[in-house]
Parts: sequence; C-alpha cells; structure tokens
Amino acid sequence: MAETPKSPRRRPRGGYIGEAWLVILLAILYGGALAAVQTSLSGRIEQNKRDQTYDAIPQLVPGADKAKTQQRLVTGEDGKESLVYEAIGADGALKGWVIPASGQGFSDRIDLVIGVNASVSQITGLYVLEQKETPGLGDYIRSESFRDRFRGKPTDRPLVVVKSEPADPHEVRAISGATISSESVAAIVNQAIGNLKGPIGRLAAGGGAAAATR
Amino acid sequence: MERDGPTALERFLNGILPENPTYRQLLGMCPTLAVTGAMQPALTMVGATAFVLIASNVMTSLLRGLLKPHLRILVFTLTIATFVTIADRFLAAYMYSMSKQLGPYVPLIIVNCIIISRAEICASKQGVGVAVADGVGMSLGFGLGLASIATVREILGSGTWFGLRVLPTSWVGWGIMVLPPGAFVTLGMLIGAVEWASRVQPHTGIWRTARSLWSWRRLASSS
Amino acid sequence: METLSQLIIIFIGAALINNYVLHYFVGICPFLGVSRRVETAVGMGFAVTFVITVAALLNWTLTFFILRPSAPLTQWVWRAAGGSPSHSVDLSVLSYIVFIFVIASSVQFVELYVRKFFPPLYRSFGVYLPLITTNCAILFASLEILKHMQDPLKVWGIGEALMLAVGAGLGFTLAIALMAGIREELDLCDVPAPLKGAGVALIVAGIMAMAFMGFAGVDKGVETALASFLR
Repeated sequence: MAETPKSPRRRPRGGYIGEAWLVILLAILYGGALAAVQTSLSGRIEQNKRDQTYDAIPQLVPGADKAKTQQRLVTGEDGKESLVYEAIGADGALKGWVIPASGQGFSDRIDLVIGVNASVSQITGLYVLEQKETPGLGDYIRSESFRDRFRGKPTDRPLVVVKSEPADPHEVRAISGATISSESVAAIVNQAIGNLKGPIGRLAAGGGAAAATR
Repeated sequence: MERDGPTALERFLNGILPENPTYRQLLGMCPTLAVTGAMQPALTMVGATAFVLIASNVMTSLLRGLLKPHLRILVFTLTIATFVTIADRFLAAYMYSMSKQLGPYVPLIIVNCIIISRAEICASKQGVGVAVADGVGMSLGFGLGLASIATVREILGSGTWFGLRVLPTSWVGWGIMVLPPGAFVTLGMLIGAVEWASRVQPHTGIWRTARSLWSWRRLASSS
Repeated sequence: METLSQLIIIFIGAALINNYVLHYFVGICPFLGVSRRVETAVGMGFAVTFVITVAALLNWTLTFFILRPSAPLTQWVWRAAGGSPSHSVDLSVLSYIVFIFVIASSVQFVELYVRKFFPPLYRSFGVYLPLITTNCAILFASLEILKHMQDPLKVWGIGEALMLAVGAGLGFTLAIALMAGIREELDLCDVPAPLKGAGVALIVAGIMAMAFMGFAGVDKGVETALASFLR
C-alpha cells in the first residue's frame, strides 16, 4: 500500500490530551473572555434591537408613548403565538396596536411593523424593518410615500394592489416597476391583520391576557 | 531583533502593494465582493478585519513557541473565532445599523483566508513586532483593495461617495453596480487593470520601488 | 401543507434565487480555483454539499439544544445547578467557535470517508479537500440557520435546516459546474493578457450572476402554484 501523504492531523504520540493542553487552556481562556464580553455588551445589544421597533412606534400609532408601550403575546387564528405591541399613550389610554409581520418579498424576506388603531379597524402606519428588494426599484417600499399609501386603509377586507389610482378604499397603488414587491407588502399586511385582528380584538375587550415578559 | 525572516518594515510595506491581499494574493474574496456596494460598510469591514488580523497575529506570535505542528491550525482557528466574536459583539453594541447591514459577513471573517495565511506564514514564525507590522500592512492593503472597488461601485451605482452626493442627481445610477453582477465585473476589471499596470509600466517610479522591495524581501527572507 | 411549501421555498431560495456563489458571494475561492474541468468541479460540488449538510445538521442540533437563548439542555443544567428558573441562559456568544469546530471536524470526517471509499477522487482533490474548511459557504449556511433560531416563536426545525443545506450545496454545485464548462471553452479563446485567469473568470461570473437574477420571484410562483394545487 502506498504511503499516505503526511497530513497535519495524524495520531500524535503523546496521546491526545498531552498534546492538546494548549488548546484546552486557550479554550478556557477565550471562553472567559467571551463571557466577559457577553455580560458587558448584551444589555446594549438587546436595547439596540428593541429600539429598532420601539423607535418606530410613535410614527405608526399617533399619540403612542414609546416608554409605556407593552409587549403582548396573542394566539392568532392560525393557532400560533405572535408578539404584538400594545401602544399606550402618555395619558395611559390605549392608542392602538403595533403588529410585527414578515413574509416573502420579491428577493428575500421582508420584515414590517404595522400600526393599527385601538379597535383594529384601520391601519395607522407601516414601517419596513428589513428588506432586500432590488435597489432603486423594490426597495422603494421603504420610502415614506409608499408606506403612506397604507395609512387610513380599512382592515375589514384584504387590500388589493392596483397599478392605477385606487378607486376603492381597499386598493393600494403599486410602485411602478416593482409590482411584486408592492404586492408582497400588501400580502404580508393582509395575512398579519387577518390572522391577528380577531384575537387582538378579543384581548382588548377581555381586559388583557397575560402580558409577556421577554 | 530577529533576523530569520523579513523585518517589520519589509512586512509592513509588503502587505500594501507587492503582496496586496485583494489584487495579488486573491484572498478574502467573499467580503471583497459582498460589502463593497458602498464605502461605509466596506471600511467598517476593513476595520473589523484589521482588528481580528492584528489581534490574532499578536496572540499567535506570543504562542509561537508552544504550537504543536498538527494542532496549530486548531489554535489559529480558535483564536480567530474568539476575536471575530468580540468584534461582532462590539459592532452590534456600538454600530447597530452598520452591523445589520454587514450581516453574516462579519462572522465570515473567521474563514477569511488572509488571517489564517498570515498566522501560518508570519505570526507563527516571527516576533510580536513583526507580526503587528505584518498585520497593519496587510490591513492597509486590504483596505486599499476594498476601497478601490467600493469607490467604483458606489459612485457609478448610486452617485454618492461615503453617502455624500458626488454626481448630479440627473445621473441615473447604474443599479447593476450595487447588485452581485456589478461586484463580479468590477473586481474582474480592476484585477485586469492592476495586472496591466504592473506589466506595462515596469520602469515608472512607484512600480520600480515596489518591485525592488519585492526582490529585496525575497533576498532577505528565508520562507 | 404550508410547511411543505415553506420547505420547497427554502430549497429553491438557497439553490437558485439566492445562489450562494452568485448572490451571496460565498465559496468564491473554490469557485475560481477548482473550476477548470467539469468532472473535478462536480466532484468538489458534491463534496461541499455533503459537508454542508453534515455540518448544518450538527450545528442545528447544537444550536437548538444548547446554544440558543433558553435552549432546553442549557436551561435544564442551569436549573439543576441551582440557578433561578426564570433566568434565560444564552450561550449564543459561543456559536461561532462551536460552528467552526463542527465544520472542521465534518471536513475531517468527509476526508476520511472519501479517502477510504473513493481513492481516485481523493487524489484528484489534492489539497482542496481540507481547504473546504475555509469555504465560506459552509459557515454561511450554518449562520443562516442560526439567524432563524433567534426568535423563540419561529424557530426553524431540522427539516428547514436540511432543505437550506442541501439547496445551498446543490446551488453551489450547479454554479461551479456551469463555470467549469464555460472555462473549458474559454481556454480556447483569445482572452486579453491582463484579464487571463481570475479577471475573465470574474467577468464570466458576473454575467452568470445576471442570468441567475432571472430566478427572482420563482419561489413566490411556486408558493402560489402549490397553494392552488393543494387546495
């Protein structure tokens, strides 16, 4: 049998532990360093993640106070638990709800947050957290003017995307040249509202289910 | 001062042009293509890579006497992965939006061939001073490479540079430049340009200096 | 059935629409280095697919049970050691180190397997087989899976992870095989001297990337088709 080429991973003579003491020592040392980094920075990182959504809340629900907004868990019509935000104003009154939603866009996932009024009957705002649509075309869904097209739309029926001026309150005008991205956003909004409208309504009427602590 | 290899100055100058990681060694292609759509993410990536490269070079150099031949790659990988995690966490804490824009490409620094190859070629064989110089030189070279590509892609693709508008708004941005095809074609053309410049201009000042440094290094080094 | 369409979308997404080489720019080194002949390229593609799948499954298991926030095993150990039950233990800071070790071990394992059962293939790979460890695609696939395990309400199961891994590997194989076929022809062409080698290969890759952009929207089409077909 031909001599197999020397690879750097042949069985060492002193046994594995004897040879590996440096690796084990380094693993402990580095593990400690990482634990230190984690404990000191994780607070900031969590805050950054939360701020992303919370900073958008006053835009989405008029009158909402970031500090008073609470997270809630609701079970949607699809049987799965979802996180929603109960947007409370500075005066303590319920101003509306913020629903995170995501779905497939043209290129990749789109993550949105949808603002609705207290009775979940109207959309009060839309904000795109993450998208990877075509630059210059599809990524126009991030712009204020596109998102504004959803403001004031009713939630009783699914929204339909049209290419001309909307004739009906349930119609939304698409971005020219980016129909699929626009339709994806509408589909995500319809799916989320259809799924959670009933449960949120019941939550508001029933006087609050168990609040989530995350 | 160790003389069993190139000096710190040689290592430093080496990394900038003669052995530029992007154009000469063709290493670290993944971030080179992925984050060069604009200058800001490109330079943030260079900063993160520089931190990991220099830190891991220092650590490897300090440990060079203890490395067993068949476990050295494991030690390099462990060290690099730790520093990358630290860099990634720092970015998430202090530059959150940039961290999200760079996304999974920051942890990919772990498998960036530049860092492992410098640990293998330089840091595991020479002292800390030389290792640092090597790291800094390679980082500057990497930065040069990424900045050149990002400049082309951002100016042609969005009309901006560092987010500041440099072309008039009447310029319709070449969207393709910001997308994957633009990345590949830009890099290919720039590699061709660098090749051409180094062949056709052998007698001009800067190339003569670079080439003499290159042959000087070859004479002086033993590796 | 929503799960089935979800799985198919993940597969098509990873293989075609967000092709790992031509969209995410991972795995470029073997893409440029090994793509001279179609046979070697396809062999390398399958080896990478195998390693990605093994590594992704192992990494999914470790992440699901140990590394993610409030992972079952970690929480159990924490409670058994007397920690407060409401505190959520998060070992995700160790993810990258664990992943790269798993990948290095997977490559070792595949190397042994190939050496024993396919010796000619092993010899033709040469030094490129151990180099699969530094193939960004494998770590990238594991990172994608990690990304989808952060939200406790929407954690990916092993099926999704498997689909992503296999899709990514097969997409890589497709890209590298296409590139090899083109390069075989390119060897006979009159390429300008400065562009020979890496330059022209990257320009060809750019054109391929443009072609693959045409796959955008296929997953939505499949989703709609499946939804109406299964109704």
